[in-house]
Amino acid sequence: MAKQQPIEIFMPPNILKAKMGGGIGGLDMAAIKRAEAAMASLKDEFGDWINSDVSKLADMRDGFAANPGPDTVGDLYRASHDLRGQALTFEFPLVARIATILCKLIDGVSDKAPLNLIDAHVNAIRVIVKQKIKEATDPIAVTLMKELDDRVADILGKAGVK
Amino acid sequence: MSGYRFDRLKILVVDDNPHMRKLVETILRAFGVVQIFESATAEAAWELLGEINPDVVVLDWSLDGMNGLELTRMVRTSPASPNPFVPIIMLTGHSQAEHVRQARDAGVTEFLAKPVSVKGILTRLSAVIENPRPFVRTKVFFGPCRRRRNHDEYHGPERRAPKPEAADVKAMAGAI
Repeated sequence: MAKQQPIEIFMPPNILKAKMGGGIGGLDMAAIKRAEAAMASLKDEFGDWINSDVSKLADMRDGFAANPGPDTVGDLYRASHDLRGQALTFEFPLVARIATILCKLIDGVSDKAPLNLIDAHVNAIRVIVKQKIKEATDPIAVTLMKELDDRVADILGKAGVK
Repeated sequence: MSGYRFDRLKILVVDDNPHMRKLVETILRAFGVVQIFESATAEAAWELLGEINPDVVVLDWSLDGMNGLELTRMVRTSPASPNPFVPIIMLTGHSQAEHVRQARDAGVTEFLAKPVSVKGILTRLSAVIENPRPFVRTKVFFGPCRRRRNHDEYHGPERRAPKPEAADVKAMAGAI
């Protein structure tokens, strides 16, 4: 039988509530509308932002190609992970999905990830952004994504990664 | 209308990606938050924590150098921590249950998966204001209670203990 661990539970004073005042029965719709308008006002910048993130991904790919190892693959992972989290906000859903597949590959085999497969992901992302493919259902991009997913699954399977 | 005085709130946003910082900052400013501080690294954030004493930290998981989980553990358990109780909202591209568990075990208060949404940020902010979690201290963990809230609704016996009187549970509300 597991030994019972001593446990202390306590409630710190709710200083934040006292400081903020107010209270809501639901979400503040006016605040949501203001923030959504502010977010929409950034849309003109999203194109530059994703180009910058894709350039960073390409730079990290070059760094890994020149000097494969845990550090450079970690840099590549972080660049891909940024795209995974942000590309949907920037209205490039397929980029988010392909970046997710690349993250899965690196998560599974780290710096043993084949460069040609990394390149296939990076190049696919570049093409989608360059051609401004924002439709999640674009048939060519979806076919390409499926191919990448299958190849990554194959590599992970051979490496014994679940 | 919430009546929240967002202008009184001081928030530290930690993300290595400048675009994500700008996005989050834009949303927070639209809510009315004026005191927003930014950091690109956990190391710089640790320094800032002592200087500005934020009310809330919005923290990315994946950072160059020390990552978000490591910073969270430092905030919760380091003797040098300026405020071990500060609410930490982890904003991350990780979204699997295992990642949520790791964040929770590190001491994260709320978890928000990217992509960023206005409602997502507002609901997490509301959660830390309206429903702060009790804190738990064991030999291996210090941080917000890892079970979901609504603790007041449970009136049964202590679940972990074989019988209620055996549990070394100390009510410390008001003692801090």
